[in-house]
Amino acid sequence: MNTPDTLWRIAWRQLRRKRLAMVCLAILGVYAAVWVYAETQFWSARLRGVIPAYKQSHYDIRNQPPSLAHPLGTNYAGRDNLGQMIQGTRIAFEIGLLTSLIVIPIGFALGAVAGYFGRKVDTAVVYLYSVVDSVPGILLIMAIAYVVRGAVERSEAMQAVTRYVDAGLLAVCVGMGFTGWVGLCRLIRAEYMKHRERQYVLAARALGVSDFAIMFRHIAPNVLHLIIINFTLRFPGLVLTEAVLSYLGVGIANEPSWGAIINDAKQRLWLGNWWELGGATAAMFFLVLALNLFGDALRDALDPKLRTAEAKTA
Amino acid sequence: MSWRPSLLILLMGAVVARGAEPSPRVLYGSGGDFKGFDPVDSGDVESADQVCRVYEGLLEYDYLTRPYRVIPRLAAALPEVSPDGLTYTFKLRQGVRFQDDPCFPGGRGREVTAEDFVYSFRRLLDPKLESQGDWIFINHVLGAKEWAQRGDHNAPLPGFAARDRYTLEIRLAKPYPQLLWVLTMPYAFVVPREAVEFYGANFRNHPVGTGPFRLKSWRRNYRIEYERNPTFNGQRYPSEGEPEDRAAGLLADAGKPLPLLDRLVDYDIQEYYTMWQMFLGGQLYSSGINKDYFEKVITPELGLSDALKKKGIRLYKVPNLVTNYIGFNMRDPVVGPNKKLRQAFATALDVDKYIAVITNGRYSPANTPIPPGIPGHTNRPYPYQYNLSRAKQLLAEAGYPGGRDAQGRPLRLTMIMPGAGSTDARQLADFWAEQLRAIGIELVVQQLTFAEYLRREHDGETQLFIAGWVIDYPDAENFLKLFYGPNKCPGVNATNYQNPEFDRLYEQIATMPDSPERTALYERMAQITLDDCVWALIGYPLAYGLYQPWFQNYKPHAFPYANWKFYKVLPH
Amino acid sequence: MSAYILRRLLSVIPITLGVLLITFLLFRVVGGNPAYRIAGKNATQERIAQIARERGYDKPYFLNWQAFPTGLFDAQFPRLCRQLLRGDFGESIKTKQRVSTMLREGVLPSLCVTTPLFFIELALAIALALLAAYYRDTWIDRGIMVVAVTGMSISSLVYIMVAQYWLASEWRLFPVWGFEGPQYLVLPVLIGVVAGTGGSVRFYRTVMLDEMYQDYVRTARAKGVSPRGVLFRHVLRNAMIPILTNVIVAIPFLYTGALLLENFFGIPGLGRLTVTALFTGDEDVIFATTFIGAILFVVANTITDIAYTWADPRIRLR
Repeated sequence: MNTPDTLWRIAWRQLRRKRLAMVCLAILGVYAAVWVYAETQFWSARLRGVIPAYKQSHYDIRNQPPSLAHPLGTNYAGRDNLGQMIQGTRIAFEIGLLTSLIVIPIGFALGAVAGYFGRKVDTAVVYLYSVVDSVPGILLIMAIAYVVRGAVERSEAMQAVTRYVDAGLLAVCVGMGFTGWVGLCRLIRAEYMKHRERQYVLAARALGVSDFAIMFRHIAPNVLHLIIINFTLRFPGLVLTEAVLSYLGVGIANEPSWGAIINDAKQRLWLGNWWELGGATAAMFFLVLALNLFGDALRDALDPKLRTAEAKTA
Repeated sequence: MSWRPSLLILLMGAVVARGAEPSPRVLYGSGGDFKGFDPVDSGDVESADQVCRVYEGLLEYDYLTRPYRVIPRLAAALPEVSPDGLTYTFKLRQGVRFQDDPCFPGGRGREVTAEDFVYSFRRLLDPKLESQGDWIFINHVLGAKEWAQRGDHNAPLPGFAARDRYTLEIRLAKPYPQLLWVLTMPYAFVVPREAVEFYGANFRNHPVGTGPFRLKSWRRNYRIEYERNPTFNGQRYPSEGEPEDRAAGLLADAGKPLPLLDRLVDYDIQEYYTMWQMFLGGQLYSSGINKDYFEKVITPELGLSDALKKKGIRLYKVPNLVTNYIGFNMRDPVVGPNKKLRQAFATALDVDKYIAVITNGRYSPANTPIPPGIPGHTNRPYPYQYNLSRAKQLLAEAGYPGGRDAQGRPLRLTMIMPGAGSTDARQLADFWAEQLRAIGIELVVQQLTFAEYLRREHDGETQLFIAGWVIDYPDAENFLKLFYGPNKCPGVNATNYQNPEFDRLYEQIATMPDSPERTALYERMAQITLDDCVWALIGYPLAYGLYQPWFQNYKPHAFPYANWKFYKVLPH
Repeated sequence: MSAYILRRLLSVIPITLGVLLITFLLFRVVGGNPAYRIAGKNATQERIAQIARERGYDKPYFLNWQAFPTGLFDAQFPRLCRQLLRGDFGESIKTKQRVSTMLREGVLPSLCVTTPLFFIELALAIALALLAAYYRDTWIDRGIMVVAVTGMSISSLVYIMVAQYWLASEWRLFPVWGFEGPQYLVLPVLIGVVAGTGGSVRFYRTVMLDEMYQDYVRTARAKGVSPRGVLFRHVLRNAMIPILTNVIVAIPFLYTGALLLENFFGIPGLGRLTVTALFTGDEDVIFATTFIGAILFVVANTITDIAYTWADPRIRLR
């Protein structure tokens, strides 16, 4: 029997042998470090009540080409492009984490109860995610973001929240969160349906262990790897979607997300300034690529059967 | 008149324009979001532009002569004025027809009569239509105010009367020096009753006018197309102008029947850089200059760069009578009652930096609401010159030391501006927010679509708003009316400023002809608004326009809306 | 079998209702009374009430108990259902046009872009996936996969921007913007294909490889079927099922009109319509496009399931 413990160790050994996966992991590590740095930059400025360096404008040096002081040049307001990209990393990670904070609990909880209890509960959950899945993704995200924006404008409580979290960020994450839980839910549901009939579960039930304890203490560790793979593979999608949302004007307004930078930078192509666009694109590219490749490798290591699982659990 | 997304227009060059294409006599340009074709709702530059292609009024400005003078258009001649100055009698041109349209029996447009003008003018005053243009008549025309308040269509309105089929009489309650000017505005254009009744709420999408062009197709957010109106009442290209016009080739088409174009096409491109590419590719006939491109396009001596000169592109610098400002809504509980707060805000704006960076020096700093070039403008220094420490001090006196309110939270102000989604708007919003951050105020800038921006202004749903006011006629009274109490929202007084002393002075000048006394009063009234800091002034823009070499007959005009019929395109 | 099909068809109704419910909740309930948004913040109570009356926002959400029994269903949600059954999407608040007219005008341009895009991408992706699967683990396979994964990691925004700037504007190979003729479609479709094929190739290759590792393939090879014969006659056919599921499910998205392509290249389709509606807060339009997209999805899904059932004998026996 594969206990989770052994599974992780086996997976890790397998991963370690693949050079590509390790390189990707290293890249992700670099990004994570940049993220931490960017957060410190943001919060130290916020807590001290000053304007952070990346937000300060120096109009006299705007649109400069790369130089020693500014390895990626400056943007329309004279801000260092490299600094902007670093902050973009922060936004990307915040989006990934905040959205996952919505997706994971909902997807996991609904998938678990559907798979475990079956029958009416299952029908209800399947109905729910079929409905959500039916609405075209981007439209639903935009619609939710629009409604959230409206709610923020109208309520005092929400305005207080937006002092800490950018309103656009909140809207985007809520939108992507409430549309993104379906995939995870499907996977978890399939797993719970399988595990429900396993020996160890039947044994636990015979011993009188409560259903909730079985679901969340016994079966859950066996599906943890699914959640992690799902997270890793969803993250890049979120980053790419944010860029599109920014272009459509539903994205983040006041902070330099990669999407916002790319949208701003296109105008300066005519001036010959490719570095602003190139930098943000490269930053997004490497993160998305690394996450995709590493997620693939992780999935292969943990459970190869998942590769086509999504197509078959319709 | 016009609300302008002026900052955005001048910066992005989303100029309502036309461009040319391989096919001759078609003008292709780029135009933006506008509200519709109802003359009653044409208070912004974009709408006015479109309305003027299809509709006309009694009078218009002469194209080439300066100083600006009014000439008859649908009127046969300038009106006879009674000795007391209270009755104007217009004789209409005969044989002017509305364009052919299904709303008329048999689809054939019928002749315009004096009754049509009475109908159109009453429509402007109709409270149900909530026109922002009712100010052109409401305070001066006999019985107008009472009629508008009653809102009863069947009630008599003595001020407008059709004496016979071709004779229109306007009677005033008090002298109105600006009457002839306002009759050139789109608000006073003539619409047929049949079209309004036939199309109902859709009338704004389906214009039926007497103008040189008629609407051919309108694909929203994509393209709008006009074609020559075959029943356009014969008008010919002017034969008179200023001395230099002949040399500039502007009189080459003198006497030719108008319009000189067959079709007008405007694309709604929305992104400046795409429009710029199309302009350079010869697909559009004109463009403004975006601030990011300014240095590459314009030399430090403010001439055109060689690269563009080689293409034959021409640069025009047009001083408009425009003032750009940030307005405060006096009805807002935070900024309305707190004069020191407004003054602190105004003093915190680094206008020179704005002019240098955002407009590339194309503006001159504003010191009074009345722009230079007309009586009423003074050279007195602006009372709220940029001064950070003074701003902070004023802010503290306003009750927000360090920008913090009584609960210790940073003061949050909301400002609206047009230009939703555009790169330039974002950069502008960023700029303003940064200025205010320097004194501790958190400025939230909402970028709205132009239509939404106008609606909020109209409804008084603002706290602060960026705006530009383009003069409607060469008289500073046009600016001062923006501060007149009774013009409050939904009228043109978007700041909802109420000052009895100002109102008294306004009523006084409203009937005065041009004179040194009136100018002195203009200056005094402007000073009152400055003392109360109703507007935080930004600057007077100088518009830079680029035009293709094959676009002919263009002469910059302060009131250019109806000039499409004069333009010509050479094959290229 | 026919019982299954019948059941599946009937399930369209609750799902459609569910979609309608979600959009309804979003725009009328969660978002608050639309009359406020239409009238504006400082509007008088009368104006708000007037708008609410005109458009029926003052009625209860689901059941009108006060008007029991005849007027029980004179509530917002039932009225909405009835309206939609009639095909009446109302009027755009901002432009006063009929929403159905706006939708109708936008369909053709959208389809002009997305239909060629769909077919070209499908053909290209399957061809490349077949190549990669056939030559698996050789440099051909690796090469294709590198290109595919790289391709899908670049934001489509960047593809569009770069293409529009260099190919259209600088080198004048294509028109920059507009929808004035077929030549205006070439660049959008081209970029759409380039941006979208990567992900599909990756997925189809995986599906095909999975099939190739199945026992029946080994058996076929043992029986002497050539590798190419195995590929085309066995693997491809069986792989088509998950592929087609994926593909058919994507069809409704053709209608959302490739939002980015439409916006950048000025194609006046449904995508651009929706984006503008979102900007201007034109609720009826947003509602209509969201709803229609969902219906198309449900229909496509149902058709797929039924076809799936009909094709796969194992499932038929359920």
